[in-house]
Amino acid sequence: MTSRLLLTPAVGVLLLLSGCGTIWDAPVGYSESPKLTGGELKGKTKLQKAVRAQLDKLYGPNPRDIRVFPGSGLFNGGTSLANLVKEGKKVREVKYEVVDSITGKKSIKTQHGGYSLYRRHCLHCHGVSGDGAGPTAPYLYPRPRDYRPGIFKFTSTGLNKPTRDDLRKTLLYGIAGTSMPAFDAMLSADEIDQVVEYVVFLSMRGETELGLIDIASTVDEKDAATELSDEVGLDTAKVVANKWVQASNLVVDPPIPRVIADEASVKRGRELYLGLNKTGGKVECVACHGPQAHGDGPSFVDKTVFDKVVFWEKSIDEAIDEIYEHMIFEHEGKVEAAKNPKDVPPLIAKKEFAAKVKKAWGESLDDWQNPLRPANLTLGRYKGGRRPIDLYWRIANGINGAKMPGHASAIKPEQIWDLVNFVIQLPYDPNMLENAPPPPAAAVAER
Amino acid sequence: MRNWSLLYIVMAVLSVIVCIYAPFDPNWRLPPNVSTTGREVDHLFELIMGITGLTFVGVSIAFGIAAWKFTDAPGRKAKYMHGSQRLEIVWTVIPAGILVFIALYQMGTWTKIKFRSEAPRVQPIAEVSARQFQWLMVYPGPDGRLHTPDDLHTVNDLHFVKGKPALIYLKSQDVIHSFFLPQMRIKQDALPGMTIPVWFDSDTASTSEHPFELVCAELCGWGHYKMRSKVVVHETQAEFDEWVKQSLKEQNRDQLKSAKTTTAAVEHKGGESL
Ligand SMILES: [Cu+2]
Repeated sequence: MTSRLLLTPAVGVLLLLSGCGTIWDAPVGYSESPKLTGGELKGKTKLQKAVRAQLDKLYGPNPRDIRVFPGSGLFNGGTSLANLVKEGKKVREVKYEVVDSITGKKSIKTQHGGYSLYRRHCLHCHGVSGDGAGPTAPYLYPRPRDYRPGIFKFTSTGLNKPTRDDLRKTLLYGIAGTSMPAFDAMLSADEIDQVVEYVVFLSMRGETELGLIDIASTVDEKDAATELSDEVGLDTAKVVANKWVQASNLVVDPPIPRVIADEASVKRGRELYLGLNKTGGKVECVACHGPQAHGDGPSFVDKTVFDKVVFWEKSIDEAIDEIYEHMIFEHEGKVEAAKNPKDVPPLIAKKEFAAKVKKAWGESLDDWQNPLRPANLTLGRYKGGRRPIDLYWRIANGINGAKMPGHASAIKPEQIWDLVNFVIQLPYDPNMLENAPPPPAAAVAER
Repeated sequence: MRNWSLLYIVMAVLSVIVCIYAPFDPNWRLPPNVSTTGREVDHLFELIMGITGLTFVGVSIAFGIAAWKFTDAPGRKAKYMHGSQRLEIVWTVIPAGILVFIALYQMGTWTKIKFRSEAPRVQPIAEVSARQFQWLMVYPGPDGRLHTPDDLHTVNDLHFVKGKPALIYLKSQDVIHSFFLPQMRIKQDALPGMTIPVWFDSDTASTSEHPFELVCAELCGWGHYKMRSKVVVHETQAEFDEWVKQSLKEQNRDQLKSAKTTTAAVEHKGGESL
């Protein structure tokens, strides 16, 4: 009897010692770029090793042992990244007071610095290394951002790195229409800043990795030690760090204030959108965003193909098969109904159709090789923010890594404001595009 | 075997201690109530807690005594009995009576909180849409009408005025969520395809730094816990209007000149490390 009573706590203690213990102590590792072991560096183990060694020296071997190189530009020498930071040879422990943003209660226990917050709130989608491949990532569309190439979509700086404010805005208010939630009510301002620093850290690490791989690809294996020395490593990292440091100097402020959003301005915006304007530069909004602004323009892969692949998880070939089968069915119907079957134009050959779809598909991927679609502008949902200045940035500078090109060189600032006014008005007045002429055949957006 | 009865007795005693201690520790109970109907909800909660608590203690004591007294002993024989009709009737009729009493007693409060005929005759303060995983608020803006270009859009930020009934329209964009205001004792499921009016008030103001809470009370997916929103109760209508005005000013920003950073957070000056 007593032995059975004793068994329960004993099992509990055993579980605590074995199971939970190992979970907390298990090493957490960064993932590697596939380019490190494939491509040019395939089989060149000495070069691979040298790249790894430099990364470990610069950023630390794993998220539990974070290192920051001098001159990283990270806030206060990287002290907001985690509870233990090694800068050069100095090791300092940094403790954080956590303030509950709702109750204002202060405590000093579980959360210390960006890594802990990132691990709790972001890692399940964005991954340990910021590669956008966390366990919940496969269920999302659009896919979570992979920070490692150092490309960020919603910037105030055009094609440059985002400012800390840009990232802070994304964290505070989320990205409308995607799975990126808002953290304003969850985290304090100080905690938000810590996460921002950690995201920058991961992005710098990823971009340094790519930089080192680039260098290694041009080097002979026997020169691994000299060509990938500590000096080269630090220089590569500093090039990346410098881009982040420069960001705050590269913010684009619209040169003129917003044009008053009266009927005339909205009408001018509509004409620009449809490419019907008589004066000034031309833009091709309608080619991607579509004649009714539903995000279904002819420059992008057809929506039925997109839906089948992204939401029904078919392969592109399966999607083509299904659609073509339906086209045959429709064609047969037409032939049967026609008085003279010879009047019905013949169906496109399957090979030709497949090649066309595949080409369009390839042109509709973003820089991370993920499928994407132009925004449906009638929903009033703006990923990069709904302020006029946000929309100005999107139209003038484009969206990094996506297919949206910048238009600042093609049209004048007042024309951009006309377009902004049109885009803001459209969700409340979708009839504006009711009788819009169809766009000219596929013209591919160029950046 | 007699020792087993001790377990039940200890459990009952511990439960009683916890029940008596809980109301005195703010961390062990709901946050202080701030709304009119919340007082009635709390009263019902305490009444039901009292009834079920007393029943639990009674049952535990009976169980402990029975287990102690009638435990297995050498030479003891089991007795056969058919049961007691009188006892059966007693322990069916009494709980049924209690249940009917509770059902009738709470009806007035339920009506006040849920019946659409009882909704305050006021303009809605906002439309609140739940989605995985956040609360999207749309305020009517200066023209007082929803879904016009002057609407104010916020994420996870609910504002209304102290001492005035507030009405919102609740929607869901994807799955079932639940709109829960713990301080106001209001809970209402948000259902896709439906627009549900929800009303509440507060006799206490709160600030953006120390807001009340709005949380999702229906497990809606992996990010369920992220559906936490601030609830700011403004002292006066003028203060609320000023908040709308300032928020709209930021929502209509067209240039950075005189821009402030989005939070009061530390300014990051690049290039400096230690
Ligand atoms: Cu929810």
